[in-house]
Amino acid sequence: MAGLSSLVLLAVLARAGREMYGYEIAKAVKAEGEGGLIFKQGAIYPVLRSLNTLGLLGSRVEASAFGPPRRYYTITDEGRQALNDWQGAWFDMRGFVDDALQSQGVADEHRVSA
Amino acid sequence: MNIASPPETVRAYLDALQGALRGSSPGLISDALADAEEHLQGEIASKPTQSEAEVLATVVETYGTPAEIAEEYKSMEASITGPFPKPEQAPRQHPGFFGVIGDPSAYGALMYMLLSLVTGIFYFVWTVTFGSISLSFLIFIVGIPLMLLYLGSIRVLSHVEGRIVEGLLGVRMPRRLPAASSADETIWTRIKDALSDIRTWSSLFYLLLMLPLGVVYFVLAIVGITVPLALIGGSLEGLITGRSHIQFSDAPYVDHIFHTAPGLVLAMFVGVLLIFLVLHLAKGIGWLHGRIAETLLVRL
Repeated sequence: MAGLSSLVLLAVLARAGREMYGYEIAKAVKAEGEGGLIFKQGAIYPVLRSLNTLGLLGSRVEASAFGPPRRYYTITDEGRQALNDWQGAWFDMRGFVDDALQSQGVADEHRVSA
Repeated sequence: MNIASPPETVRAYLDALQGALRGSSPGLISDALADAEEHLQGEIASKPTQSEAEVLATVVETYGTPAEIAEEYKSMEASITGPFPKPEQAPRQHPGFFGVIGDPSAYGALMYMLLSLVTGIFYFVWTVTFGSISLSFLIFIVGIPLMLLYLGSIRVLSHVEGRIVEGLLGVRMPRRLPAASSADETIWTRIKDALSDIRTWSSLFYLLLMLPLGVVYFVLAIVGITVPLALIGGSLEGLITGRSHIQFSDAPYVDHIFHTAPGLVLAMFVGVLLIFLVLHLAKGIGWLHGRIAETLLVRL
């Protein structure tokens, strides 16, 4: 699941093309997944930190008017490269899973009609 | 932690999260708490019409329960290992003895050692002077708020020291002040809370300890910087001008060695070697002091 959430987070930050802080990113992810989230919003933050440690995201901390200081994240060139690679891997995998599920669906139909 | 009753306040949520993370590294716990607080405060600010308890009830659904979030942080601590190819990471090489010259942490530690005399004196004077004043004023009514102010100032000083330690020694320290007790508590309960908190005493001990430590660090740093530089500079000057002024008042019989060219080259070599040794020493002291600060100052 961490792999999927990191793919989503990189995509959100790449599309935004600007700095975003954790809560903002969580909101953006929530807006993407109208049908329901595949992971908890709280799981986003540790993934952001890990991506930051891996150098796929850059970050800086800024004081906030209320609450703790905010950490702003941006996608790095390395992050964009990883996003491209992962996207390719994701499309391949999705195609494979779709094919497998569709043939399963066909088999079920056969069983129902028989 | 009671699953049947979800936390109704941000404070309660953070406490539950901290409880669920018990045993993890202080830096990780501090990060997880800061992230959760940022998110929860953001949610509360975005729904001004709802009460804190109402907001938290819905947020726990989307953000995750303290137990779930604790699991996420624990499993994420190592690194991301997703189903996708990971970008190539250069294997980290051990810097070796001479690699220390390019190690920023050694210079940071050296800076810290130089600074620690000033901060050590300040902390000591503040702690002792303000402490004894507020203690002796306790027999008057004005002494009570003064005592509270004093205990507050200890927290602030510890926090500032934490920032310095993190900046120069690279030890993960809390990046925000520990939450103050809620305003509806009486002044006496606040003083009692602070006095019964072991961290108040350990912070106080740390601030006092900084004076002797600061003196030792400062002397080591100054000697460590000047001796190698003097050896290198003196030898260079001797080699260039042809006249050596190197004298050892305690051991005049070795002077003649440093009045010859090979002796001067040797002295320069020793000076260069000393620089590396001093940087290693600074790095070691920095590491050790980081552990001391983490143990005595991090409030969880």
